[in-house]
Amino acid sequence: MATEQQKYYADIKNVYKKPEEYTLAGKGNAYVRIDAEAKVTGNAIYTDDVYLPDTWYCKLVHSPYAHAIIKSIDFTEALKVPGVKATLTGADFPEGHNLGNPEAFKELADKEPLCRKKVRMEGDEVAAVCATTEEAATEAARLVKVEYEPLPVILDPFDAMKVDAEPIHYPPDQPGTASNLSIFTVMHAGDPDKAFEEADYTDEHYYKTQEIVHSAIEPHGAIAKYENGEWTVWTTTQGAYVSRYWIAWGLGVPESRVRVIKPMVGGGFGGKLDVFAHELCPCKFSQMTGHPVKCILKRDEVFKCTRTRHPISFKIESAFTKEGKLLAKRCTHILDGGAYGGSGIAANTLSLICATFPYKVENIDMVARRPYTNHPASGAMRGYSACQVHFAHEIHMDEAANDLGIDPLELRHINQITPYYTGPTGLEFTSCRFKECLDAVADYIDWEHRDRYPFGSGEAIGISGSGFMSGTGFPVLVTPHYCSSATMVRLNREGYAVVFSGANDIGQGCDTVMTMIVAEELGLNMDEVKLIQSDTTTTPWDAGSFGSRVTFLAGNACRRAVGDAKWKLLSSWAEEWGCKPQDIKMEDHRVFLPGDSEKNISYNEACFGYEEKNFGKCVAGVGSFCHEGDKDIYVKNVGNYATAYSFSASGAKVKVDMETGQIELEDFVFGHDCGRPLNIRAVEGQIEGSVLLGYGFSCYEECQYDENGKHLNPSFRDYRFPTALDMPKMKTIICSEYDEEGPMGAKEAGEGSTAPVGSAIGNAINYATGLTMRELPITPERIWRALREHEKTGKTAFGAEDLKEKFAAMPPLPQRYDV
Amino acid sequence: MALPEMTYVRAKSLDEACKYASENSARTAVIAGGTDVILQTKELVLQNMGIDTLLDIKEIPGLNRLDFVEGEGLKIGSLTKLYDIQSSEIVKEHIPAVAYAAHYVASPQVRRKGTMAGNICNASPSADTASILLAMNAVIKTHSVKGDREIPMSEFFQGFKKTAIDKEAGEIVTEIDIPELKKGEGSAYFKHAIRKAMDLAIIGVAAWVRMDGNKIEDVRLAVGGAAITPIRLPEAEAILKGNELSDELLEKAGVKASQEISPISDVRASAEYRTDMVRVYTKRAVNKAVETMR
Amino acid sequence: MAKRIIKFKLNGEDIETICQDNITMVDFLRKDMHLTGTKRGCEEGECGACTILLDGRAVDSCLMLAAEADGHEITTIEGVRRGGQLHPIQQEFIDKWALQCGFCTPGMIMSALSLLNENPHPTEHEIRDAISGNLCRCTGYAKIVEAIDAAAEKLAKEVAE
Repeated sequence: MATEQQKYYADIKNVYKKPEEYTLAGKGNAYVRIDAEAKVTGNAIYTDDVYLPDTWYCKLVHSPYAHAIIKSIDFTEALKVPGVKATLTGADFPEGHNLGNPEAFKELADKEPLCRKKVRMEGDEVAAVCATTEEAATEAARLVKVEYEPLPVILDPFDAMKVDAEPIHYPPDQPGTASNLSIFTVMHAGDPDKAFEEADYTDEHYYKTQEIVHSAIEPHGAIAKYENGEWTVWTTTQGAYVSRYWIAWGLGVPESRVRVIKPMVGGGFGGKLDVFAHELCPCKFSQMTGHPVKCILKRDEVFKCTRTRHPISFKIESAFTKEGKLLAKRCTHILDGGAYGGSGIAANTLSLICATFPYKVENIDMVARRPYTNHPASGAMRGYSACQVHFAHEIHMDEAANDLGIDPLELRHINQITPYYTGPTGLEFTSCRFKECLDAVADYIDWEHRDRYPFGSGEAIGISGSGFMSGTGFPVLVTPHYCSSATMVRLNREGYAVVFSGANDIGQGCDTVMTMIVAEELGLNMDEVKLIQSDTTTTPWDAGSFGSRVTFLAGNACRRAVGDAKWKLLSSWAEEWGCKPQDIKMEDHRVFLPGDSEKNISYNEACFGYEEKNFGKCVAGVGSFCHEGDKDIYVKNVGNYATAYSFSASGAKVKVDMETGQIELEDFVFGHDCGRPLNIRAVEGQIEGSVLLGYGFSCYEECQYDENGKHLNPSFRDYRFPTALDMPKMKTIICSEYDEEGPMGAKEAGEGSTAPVGSAIGNAINYATGLTMRELPITPERIWRALREHEKTGKTAFGAEDLKEKFAAMPPLPQRYDV
Repeated sequence: MALPEMTYVRAKSLDEACKYASENSARTAVIAGGTDVILQTKELVLQNMGIDTLLDIKEIPGLNRLDFVEGEGLKIGSLTKLYDIQSSEIVKEHIPAVAYAAHYVASPQVRRKGTMAGNICNASPSADTASILLAMNAVIKTHSVKGDREIPMSEFFQGFKKTAIDKEAGEIVTEIDIPELKKGEGSAYFKHAIRKAMDLAIIGVAAWVRMDGNKIEDVRLAVGGAAITPIRLPEAEAILKGNELSDELLEKAGVKASQEISPISDVRASAEYRTDMVRVYTKRAVNKAVETMR
Repeated sequence: MAKRIIKFKLNGEDIETICQDNITMVDFLRKDMHLTGTKRGCEEGECGACTILLDGRAVDSCLMLAAEADGHEITTIEGVRRGGQLHPIQQEFIDKWALQCGFCTPGMIMSALSLLNENPHPTEHEIRDAISGNLCRCTGYAKIVEAIDAAAEKLAKEVAE
């Protein structure tokens, strides 16, 4: 059944190329990245490379305390440093204009551009200085004297929820209920109680994941220029429009006075979705001084002051029949929100949605709570919530399988989601090749003969599966269709086209995808399509790079834009040639009616003729794509969440040194259902990068804190992610079909691919060691400790041991929502 | 990153360098590769110690030898880069464990600038080359305003981040001499770290053995990351010395080794883990040294 | 503020200029020489984004003072092109999709260049070892290794011809 949106764009669809006519999309390695040459020559301009004449520098002053009252701020010594020009404190920004992420939840925006009275995490920004050089600004920032009155530091999310806990933001509005809740979410379907009663098998397990950091190699930063009453801000953002909204709000000015330009961005992974002090302070300073002002964070600032992945504590209960059918799931997810909300408030819902697939489960009872703590603020991170959830739930899947005496692959097959299934809370799945993903992975890794590695022998294979949204419905800003994308395309009679894309390329390559879509539809070469990068003044609205939405939403918007232009051009020539627009083809710089050599002109002639007929009006197209789900999904947690869903499975082969716990990941295979891959190397690149993230997450990375909340490893020396020598051999298998709604058949490849990595490695480690590790990261030391304890006591399951008691002692949710 | 205000001085000769370092000893840090010292400058470690001058010795001629003298051993100039040591055919042929240890310091970029002399003068408790130099009984040759001196490796480390280098005399390391492996002798180094590159050792164990058939005639063990300086393990050595090599003997020595160290817990590992890893790698290092003996 | 005159070769050109004693090479290149291809990722020698060649060998320019360059030869990513043509390593990075966000790419290419200067026929392990001081968060390194391997082959062919 066609939706209103599909009907609206029905004409345009007529002139789309058919898959068999593609010369670029999905054709092996038919094209290269449009930004590749700029990047290999060092010419690509990132935020820190924007050097404007007479630029001054901003440096932030951070709190050394994780929780404290600001008593006073003294700039006397700082102002003596030669070159210091201006200073800022929280009082210089309009009160109440806190920074957040979703506009619809603006009441939850809780981050002051600079803290006024209270700091809530180590690294919280309390002041800023501006100087003529970076050196002077650094020295001056060091000399700013801030007097604090320390408050009790709360690092454990369960401690934060205690009824008498020190309020980090505000006390609970209902006494006796959980304190410090940033947000909580409830999801319910079917009759789980009945299912649990009737089940042959039930279980209850606890799992825990840790805090990690995005670690994009490019640190966050911004440069702002104030001129004619307007700000222009070049910043490391994943969403120029969202940044503009919150920068304008933080400054207390209309959005029309702020222009945000996204230069090249050196990786985001979710860490560059929020708006920060390092963007607001240069704006303010540039207005005060008349100079462009730059603020680039140092690596330790990135660790402490940007965003992290939510650590999650899980309680999972499942109910199966003895044949292995999953009847019901009850789970509680406790997400350590850290000090602020921001993009982090989406984490709850996402964690629950992810727990409802990739397996069919009709009866669910799920709650997620996100308490504030004095850790750095948790936020979005690639495979948002999915990485944690699919770690816990997929380790759990193997535990259940082994308890049931069913092969873990078979148990997954029994319950796998099938095409066009609708989930109990209204998720509408479309194309789905999860089964094929599982089979491909099992085949590659020779799952059938997994007994070749005896249990506990130090060597084993493991598998896991996952799903993810392709094109999230997450409503960031309040716009007519919330999570939409729009694109404009202009055809030029000189033999080229220009695409104005609001999509935010942060390295994943979406600018190349948009260029390819336009070149494909117009029959032009890649270099004959010029792309204007995301810039709120020149490019149309786009919500940003998150939720694996860019290829699907912006890609479709782009295709509709070029389709709109093509429809106009071809309609004009169809009238001339006495045919239908869809009869005319555009290939290899020609516009022609197949089979009629008279009706065959060049692209340039076609555009020229159109302009001739239309009083000089150029051919231009506008296209959009929006998610059509319920706008209130975040409140109701019922309905469809994404435009499509991707599926994946992965397999890992590990070797564990049983004396030292050292892990060797020898082989990794990834089966992905990403629809039709628009470029196989780009998809492989996303997956190979996902394996790195997933391997780091499962075995290497963890932010560590002392009891005062002081970050102990804010550097790449002590916070380690894998080097080239640590990475395994990797194999990508595309198990896709053409997705009817995807742009040229594509779904997503960027985020879902991160989700099943950790659990495949974790399952493999568990079979290799003969133990069950329920807490991340599974480091050599943790394995060593577990193995030694196992020798002494026979204990077999490790990690998250404290959770049973903590879950049991959790205070209730506020009445109105409690279930 | 903005460095604090400081002065850079480039020495043209060894005598000039020693004289300058001696006259300005309280405020001067000597750099060869400079990779450790520049990082400490950024972290204000030096500034807080009152140091505001970096004396660069890397242009001094004659300090970058790397050769093997028959009957003596390896001669490694104090300006010889770690990268050249790791990739030297001479080193790989004569004392492979030295090449191996050099290969494990930081990253290729750091090793192309950093030196072995710098690695030990920085005196990090887990310095990768320190353990193998201790086990090999290397000798550190120096020059100062007082003249030349030879410091046995066993006397080089004096305390946390403290060495035998006489700063007031402007003493500068000129060469590291590593005795050759004779027939029946072998050595090995194992680094235990999380990552395979760019990581500091949780612990590192080096072993040197002289075998007589299956009997351990002599042995030296050294460990990094297990005390405030890299140290020898005399009690474990005593267990091994004069005895037939066996798994039981190795286990006994490993246990002893793990008892004579005093590791700390930090972000990289707990003291307990370090302790047990010293046990494990003591065994492995002796085995490897025996396997690869001349 | 201590300053000095330094003379060195930068991307093949003789340079004589004034530098501060306390400026690191990466800041000097970016701020004084206006060469922004060399990136600041961590500024503590842990990420390799600032890798340059010092006398033909890859080093971290954040762990080097500009003053140390006096009398030496520095090559940055901007000097890798050969006679207006992309260097085979650059071309292979493009062709093999060996980059995503591109922020580690200049440093990665400098490390590769240094490797192939020293070892024209590296094994896969040697390639991985050579770039083990260059962190990449996007690619998982697979395509980077592939590109360097292909470039080595191309360069070897050039030498043979």
